[in-house]
Amino acid sequence: MRGSGGRKRGSELRKRVSALLAMIVLASLAACNGSSDTARLGTSSPQNAASDTSVTSGEPPASEAAADRAAQPARAEHADGASRSARRRRSDGAAQSSTAEVDTNRLAALRASTLPGGFELVTAPRAFEFPRDHGPHPTFRHEWWYITGHLDTPSGEPFGFELTFFRFALKPPNPAPAETGVEDGMPSAWRARQIYMAHFAVSDIDRKNFVVAERFARDALGLAGAHAEPFRVSLDDWSLGASADGKLWRLVAADKGYALDLEINPDSPFTLNGDAGFSRKSDAEGAASYYYSIPRMSAKGTLTRDGRTFDVQGTLWLDREWGSGALGADQQGWDWFALQLDDGSALMFYALRKRSGQRDAHSAGTWLSPDGKALALANDDVQVDVTAHWTSPHGSRYPARWQLRVPKLDLDVNIQPRLANQELNTSTRYWEGASLVKGTRAGQQIEGKAYVELVGY
Amino acid sequence: MSTLWAASVRHLLRHPAQLALALLGLALGVGTIIAVDIATASSGRAFELSMEAVNGAATHELRAGPGGIDESLYVRLKTSGIPVALTPVVEGYVDVGDETLQLVGIDPLVDASVRGDSRLSATDRAGAQTERTDAYAERAGTEGGRAGAEEHDGPRSADRDGIESITLWLTEPGASVMAANTAQRLGLHIDDAFTLRIGGTVRDAKLIGTLGGTSSGLDTLLLADIAQAQEWLGLFGRLTRIDVRVPEGSEGEAALRQLQQQLPPGVTLQPAERRTRQSLDMTAAFTTNLQAMSLLALLVGVFLIFSAVSFAVVQRRRVIGVLRALGATRARVLAMILVEALMLGIVGAALGLVLGTFIGRELVALVSRTINDLYFVVAVNEVVIPGLAIAKAVGAGIGVALFAAAVPAIEVANSAPSLGLRRSVIETRAVSASRWLVGVSVGLAIAAGAIVLFSSRSLLAGFVALFLLLLTVAAITPAVLRGLALAASRFLGRFSPIARLASGDIAASLSRTGVAVAALGLAIAAMIGVSIMVESFRESLRTYLAETIRADLYITAPGPGFGRPERRIEPDVLRDILALPEIAEHTESRRVIVDSSRGPIRVDALRMVPATREAIPLTVGDPDGVWEKFERGGVVVSEPLAWHLQLDVGDRLELDTAEGKRPFEVAGIYREYGNDQGSMLMNRAVYSRLWHDDAITAIGLYLRPGTDPPTAKRLVRESLRHRQSLAMTSNYEVRAISMRIFERTFVITRVLYWLTAGVAAIGLISALLAWELERSRELAILRALGLTPRGAGGMIEVQTGFMGLVAFLAAIPAGVLTAVLLITVINRRAFGWQIDFHITAQQFVNAFAVAMIAALIAGLYPAWRMARAPLASDIREE
Repeated sequence: MRGSGGRKRGSELRKRVSALLAMIVLASLAACNGSSDTARLGTSSPQNAASDTSVTSGEPPASEAAADRAAQPARAEHADGASRSARRRRSDGAAQSSTAEVDTNRLAALRASTLPGGFELVTAPRAFEFPRDHGPHPTFRHEWWYITGHLDTPSGEPFGFELTFFRFALKPPNPAPAETGVEDGMPSAWRARQIYMAHFAVSDIDRKNFVVAERFARDALGLAGAHAEPFRVSLDDWSLGASADGKLWRLVAADKGYALDLEINPDSPFTLNGDAGFSRKSDAEGAASYYYSIPRMSAKGTLTRDGRTFDVQGTLWLDREWGSGALGADQQGWDWFALQLDDGSALMFYALRKRSGQRDAHSAGTWLSPDGKALALANDDVQVDVTAHWTSPHGSRYPARWQLRVPKLDLDVNIQPRLANQELNTSTRYWEGASLVKGTRAGQQIEGKAYVELVGY
Repeated sequence: MSTLWAASVRHLLRHPAQLALALLGLALGVGTIIAVDIATASSGRAFELSMEAVNGAATHELRAGPGGIDESLYVRLKTSGIPVALTPVVEGYVDVGDETLQLVGIDPLVDASVRGDSRLSATDRAGAQTERTDAYAERAGTEGGRAGAEEHDGPRSADRDGIESITLWLTEPGASVMAANTAQRLGLHIDDAFTLRIGGTVRDAKLIGTLGGTSSGLDTLLLADIAQAQEWLGLFGRLTRIDVRVPEGSEGEAALRQLQQQLPPGVTLQPAERRTRQSLDMTAAFTTNLQAMSLLALLVGVFLIFSAVSFAVVQRRRVIGVLRALGATRARVLAMILVEALMLGIVGAALGLVLGTFIGRELVALVSRTINDLYFVVAVNEVVIPGLAIAKAVGAGIGVALFAAAVPAIEVANSAPSLGLRRSVIETRAVSASRWLVGVSVGLAIAAGAIVLFSSRSLLAGFVALFLLLLTVAAITPAVLRGLALAASRFLGRFSPIARLASGDIAASLSRTGVAVAALGLAIAAMIGVSIMVESFRESLRTYLAETIRADLYITAPGPGFGRPERRIEPDVLRDILALPEIAEHTESRRVIVDSSRGPIRVDALRMVPATREAIPLTVGDPDGVWEKFERGGVVVSEPLAWHLQLDVGDRLELDTAEGKRPFEVAGIYREYGNDQGSMLMNRAVYSRLWHDDAITAIGLYLRPGTDPPTAKRLVRESLRHRQSLAMTSNYEVRAISMRIFERTFVITRVLYWLTAGVAAIGLISALLAWELERSRELAILRALGLTPRGAGGMIEVQTGFMGLVAFLAAIPAGVLTAVLLITVINRRAFGWQIDFHITAQQFVNAFAVAMIAALIAGLYPAWRMARAPLASDIREE
């Protein structure tokens, strides 16, 4: 967001974001804190559940980065305090893990079991049903709708984009009338127990421009919200939802000089990740999510840049995930890969990283064959080697090139970002970028496109 | 040269009392001006700060009528993709303990995008940090993380972390946040439950955090989630306003145009600072009056300084004469005196600065109370010392000192050395000056009259005329004094030689006595004028209240602020009250503030009964025609409103209704003292149709014969059954309350008046002292001739008493004229209302008492001194 819009606005948004961020970050802290202090605040981004693998190094923990962001003005001493506490936490975490049982789980946000009121926990596989499950699951603490995609104009000008909606429940839904400050009074329409956050980012490859916007709103009055039938999730004027006939979806978002209006065909093979959509992130109870993806949705529509509109078309990836858990104490972040290969196949893999730098054994993925068959990939099935790094203007050092091998599929590809700087300096800072894939599959040359997400750097 | 300065310094040091009085007079004059400026600037600044705190970086705002904006507009704008940042606000006033706070309901999820780095979000942010730091600190334990936390002045949320905070903010019933200072004043801690009183209902609230720091703009705020604010204020579905932020430049303008096109009728887009300005403009007349009062104090101070400096000069005629004879040039003598005056001015002004700052701090409370009563809620926690105003006051003080010294200095410097030695010369000149001043006073009076006649609306011109009038009194007093003293001397001389001597002395020492009496006369004239004005006002108000307050019982939704939408009687409560069989008839009133093409206007939308119509004192318009037009949608404006907006019957005024702009015809003008901005009466049916607002702020009940108001009150209270606590006042109480507010409003006037009288009394004392000093030899000879000490003291008291009397006599016509000017010119021009002239003997008796007491007290010390002075040394001095 910073890189893009006017500086003033950027910094302003950033301030606001820091406030909110702090809240959200703290949320996870709170969650962890409750159970013990194993806390790791993975929160950093409640977003992607998917996470992955590539163990990296002993970079500063996510908590620190997040804290640092939150802190704006008092950055120095905070960062300091944060690293102290982070260090301490690390040792706590270690102690904790020996006592076992407590805690840890992975996803970004918050640990259900420690929350007042109690959210539903993800503990076992479930039956998915559509379109119901495209809609929200408010009994779970957090949820997201994550769309990434590659688009091209007729003249071949390439763009990448991301539009994500996050839902956070502050309290489980209340069947009784909502609380009000007025005895037996009626509640205001603004009363809400859920808040939404959304990110919209565009990677303008030829212009080497990356813009990002972040918004928040409460689930009230239609300012933000989601439903299953007809499917729709929206925040302000950004939305993703079924069009009138229900067959196609429409995606609309605009900010920072870019606007997208796409028609999407969701009728393409989807994958239930993990154990039929039950995606375990650590051994702790509830440290799991329900997770499905639609890796290859075709889309066409328009992209407007600074008032000029282009026709575009391309292939999008939808990731859907919900749950109530948080990252585990010893988990640092994740690297998530979403590959769309030219032979019609797709591969998702998330590498969860431990604080020690090791890849967490819960890392996993799914392979979708060109004929629409899904194959679950375990941690051991995928090798990821980082072959380059990039340091962001905010000081985070991200991996910037990978060699990914899946011997089981005879796949060996190189993944390279299309722009170095695709860092979202939002309330939780992360890198999510359009990338190109080149390599071999069964001895044949293969190419493709990808989105990679790097959290916890 | 050094001899000259030595003489100057020595003289001042040898007469410390005189020096002290001159300085005190000057200091009081300058101090009063500074005090008033501090008080008004502090109130204004406090208001601006709180507006800034609320507005932050918002550039514009969307507003609608009194009912606010339909929240669906916000949702529509938010989802329409117009590139502007929007944030909703629901505002109202609530009482907590004995404080009134401004409840601001916001949506923290979008608020910072509009307000940006405002105090509000700044503190929020600081809060988030603090919380975070706290959270770490807790974990870091002994590692000292907490030290970091203490450096912040952000909200202290009891070791609460972020999600917990936002969860509390959004879901905890009654969640609210206030400034740490405010919480401390109210004795509240985080997590404490407390109650709010809103329009007569009691609500439960919980303090979930505090905003820290020293930013005083936040001190009157109570922040809550927008949902909570709607529930508390009963503003379901409504927003008070939508704050807007657009980037500067053409991009922003384009966005604004786009926004403008989306607005339904009745919703207006305006720059954010306009509201602040409009509110401050309302107090303009009020502050102008205060400043005029403070100038009066300085004016009286001028006389004081004049008398002190000229006395200091005159006392030294002999020395100066000798110096001149020894070769000091005129220029040097002149320079010496002027430098002396300059020093005096600087020291006096410096003292005034200290004194003014001190008085100003006290005055702030009075001024802000009046502003709270009449205009808007403001809490002044920070005294603003306005630099420019102070420079002005100090400059005025020094200028006045120089001016006062210049006249005697030129006179002395120009006289021949030998003449300078003789006192008789000055007195001769004083006599001729007094005659000349009579001419001047005639000229001043004519000028004052001309100014009034030829300026029709200017308040400033009114004040200039007022000051000229007061100067007229001052100019004519010496001649009056001389005439009366000579007459008294001739008359009394028949009975007692001492009396003859005493009164003759006054005439003979006109250079001394004239100035002192002029200053006293001026203060007394101002006193008479102001008290006649206040009394006339009081009487007019009393008559007005008796005429207009006719219903037996008034029931009002209580709360601060005129036209607050949250002040309304709950519909079911209203229905039950009106169902009481004891009620014969009732009126309904909805008081709101609506926007017009000419700024905000107070509207009282009335459902009337025939008795009400008769009760409204029309000053322009034929009663039958007026009410007929009123029923059809015409409006009746009050005198102040008609004056400010220059409206006359038949004129049309455009108001912003919920259905867009509509013209309203002025059907009549009525008398009103309720507020100085004026208000407008409108048919309630017309109002509720055009503004979509059915709420009622107050009702007036006419009871059936046989029911008295206390019984009715009891019945109403029973029917309320704790649902809403409404203010119930009988017509008698309404009048009493109105009178009480009136009296409170004039407290400041009175305070300033006494400051002025104080300056005059000090002037008199200083002049008398000087005079006694001068004639000590004369009096000593009288004593030697057999006048007893008591006789000598008595003689001085008789003289000062006589002077007090003359000051009083001279002040009577001037005072009455001042009152006329205050009532017909100043009040009319400042506020627009017309007051019936009302004079009572009591006012003159009071003024007489003040004049005599001031004079006699002023004479005490000189009399005491004189009675005890050693005769021999005084005689021997020569």
